[in-house]
This record gives sequence, structure tokens and C-alpha cells, in this order.
Amino acid sequence: MSGPEDTDLPGGWEAAAAEYVLGLLPEDELRAFEAQLGQDQALQQDVEAWEAYFAAFTDDIKEVAPPPQILRRTEAQLFGKPRAPLWQQILPYFLGAVAAAAIAWMAMFGGLLQSSDEPDLWADLETPSRGLVMLAHYAPDSQTFMVRRDAGDYPEDRSFEIWLIADPDSAPVSIGLVDREGLTEIPVSDEIAAQLPGATVAISEEQPGGSPTGVAQGPVLSLGQLAPREDL
Amino acid sequence: MTTPQAEIEDLIARIAMGDRAAFRSLYDRTAAKLFGVCLRVLNDKALAEEALQDVYCKIWARAGQYRVNGFSPMTWLITLARNAAIDRRRKRDASERRKQDPIDAAEMIADPGPGPAQQLQSRAEAEALFGCMAELPPERAEMVRRAYLEGATYNELSDATGVKLNTVRTWLRRSLMQLRECLSR
Repeated sequence: MSGPEDTDLPGGWEAAAAEYVLGLLPEDELRAFEAQLGQDQALQQDVEAWEAYFAAFTDDIKEVAPPPQILRRTEAQLFGKPRAPLWQQILPYFLGAVAAAAIAWMAMFGGLLQSSDEPDLWADLETPSRGLVMLAHYAPDSQTFMVRRDAGDYPEDRSFEIWLIADPDSAPVSIGLVDREGLTEIPVSDEIAAQLPGATVAISEEQPGGSPTGVAQGPVLSLGQLAPREDL
Repeated sequence: MTTPQAEIEDLIARIAMGDRAAFRSLYDRTAAKLFGVCLRVLNDKALAEEALQDVYCKIWARAGQYRVNGFSPMTWLITLARNAAIDRRRKRDASERRKQDPIDAAEMIADPGPGPAQQLQSRAEAEALFGCMAELPPERAEMVRRAYLEGATYNELSDATGVKLNTVRTWLRRSLMQLRECLSR
């Protein structure tokens, strides 16, 4: 609050929620509001409701097809790079995993690693904002997919669902839920097993029992790419 | 069984998991609406195109944060588009020091409300909003509308009404509380 007159403003946090959605909050109040928003579920619902109501101001705005180059430019901006932006945010250490995979790959081709056995695959699944640390592990010997929760809380009334994305063009497939206690072990079919090398694993937070629609309803907590590891 | 709303939610969930085909489907389904919103806010084709690109980059990056919350998923997309366009509009206005059109209570007439229903946006919210906006004094309703669609700041609303900034803010907050009370009826 920047001055004594502000303390007389009517409406408290509830009016501030509408000002926030309209983009009217002064800088210092914006920070205080966002801090409050992070811990106040009723306030979050207020913000969501204001967004929904105010969005109706756009109801009578006519659709206008954008020029085709906009999609091309956007896709180039997003996918022209080797990695997707979301991965950059969630997995800052993802390059390390790629490097490890590349080294294992070169080692195999270089004849240093003669084993014809399929390697175990691993993916780190972390959500720093929630303090969640999970590790996905696929053991080809037993054809078992495992998830271990090393840190972070499992909310009582939610389920963590595990999704497999074989490649960027295919739809995510649910392979099960993370168990509340202990190691999650999921036997996988030959078909799923064949898709695992290089696939991305995602964890989403869903209603108890998992998404009823077969599609994640979110939010997505973490993503990781399965890759072999030598030092485990 | 699948509603357009559920289809959009499915696409957002797939985008959260890096599904590029889903990204393109969502773009095909929603870009014309969101471009319309950007054009309305910015009234400038080149800037609206840049804003639209911002919007879809944000959709790709933030799809994982989207949570099904009972409102139309179009709300989330429209909010991203409106905010991206307002950001660009405020930057432009700051560099050009545009003058606000005056808001004069005597010239205000009640808002006739929106045109035909949009296919994806929920009608319930629209009817409630326009009904409740009509209960506000017209010049206050105009301030709310201008803040949302034109990104008007308190400074600009103060200029446009010739009323002191703190007074404008007090008025507007009272109006927003009145609106909230009406909307929750």
C-alpha cells in the first residue's frame, strides 16, 4: 500500500481480485496480491470467476482468420529449437540427460559397450514448486515400469497419473497411477515396452482414481525423457 | 458425447505433454477468435499478429498450468490473448502518449450487450455480466469495459473522466463490488 488514503479503499481483497484481472493494481499492491493469491484458494476462485465473466466482453468480437505465416512463425519459434520450452522450464538439467544418452549411444556404436541387452531407462520427474521429486525407472528384464517418490507430499484427495508420450506427434497414453506408499510397479505390454526408449513420461495431478476421460485434466506436474544411465 | 468445450480441454492437456499435433489443432480451432480479440484491443494488424504469436507461445509454455475449473476453457485462452494484447498496447501507448477519449456521463447510453452467441464461450457468464453491467451507472460500466478491452489504467481513467485518481479508484472498486454482488446472485 503506497499511502494512507489507500487503506480506506472499499472492497478489500475481493475488489483487488477484480482489479488484478483488469490489470489495474499498482506495482507494489500487485506483489502483495500475488503473494496472497498463492495461499488463498477462495481468492483464486474469485480471480477465475472474474476472468470468466470479463471474458464475456469479447463475446461480440468477430473471428478474423490470421495470416497463415503466423502459425509458421509460431511453430518455428517453439519447435525450431531442439527442445520444447516447457521442458526447458521444468527440466533445466535435461541437456545432461541428452548428453548422457548421446554418450551411451556413441559408446555402443564405438564398440566400447558390446552388450546387446536393452538398457534400463530412467527419467527424473521433479516439480520444484511443490517440492516433489520422483524417479521413473523401466527395467526391460522384468518389463516393469516403476516410479519412486523421493520427496514431496501426495495430496489426500488427488491422484498422480503417469502418462507416456512416445513421440511429439502422438497422444499421451495413461499407464497408471503413482501409488501412495512405496514403489509403484507397473508391468507393461510388449507394445508399450517397444515405445519406451526415448519416450517422455509425464505426471499429472488428477481427481482420485485418475482422469475419467483418458486425457489428462491437469495440471501437469513434471515431464522427463527416458534415457539409459550408467552411474546407477 | 464430446462437447466443443471438452475437446478444447483435451487439446490443452495434450499440449501440456508436448503434443505438437494437438497444438496445431488448437490453433486451427481458436486462432481466429483470439486474433479477433487482439485486433479489437490493439486496432493494429501488425501488432495484433505479434500479440497472437505471443499468445500461442504462452499456451504452449503454460498448458501444464491449466486446470479444468468449471468455466469454459475459452476463458483461459481469451484471458491469455487479452493480456498479451494489453501488454503490447500499453507499451505502444507509453511510447506514443496517446490521449484518452473522454468519458462523459451525459453522453453514455446503456450498453446494448453482445451480438450473437459465440459457439464456445459460455452464454451463462455473458448474460450475467451484461445484466449486471446494466445495473451500474453507465459511466462506471464504461470504465470497467475500457479497463478490460483497452487496458485503461487508473491514470488514464482519471484523465478520461476529469476526476482525481484516488476518487476514480474508489468509485471503480465500489462498482466492482456491486458487480460481484450482482454476479453471485
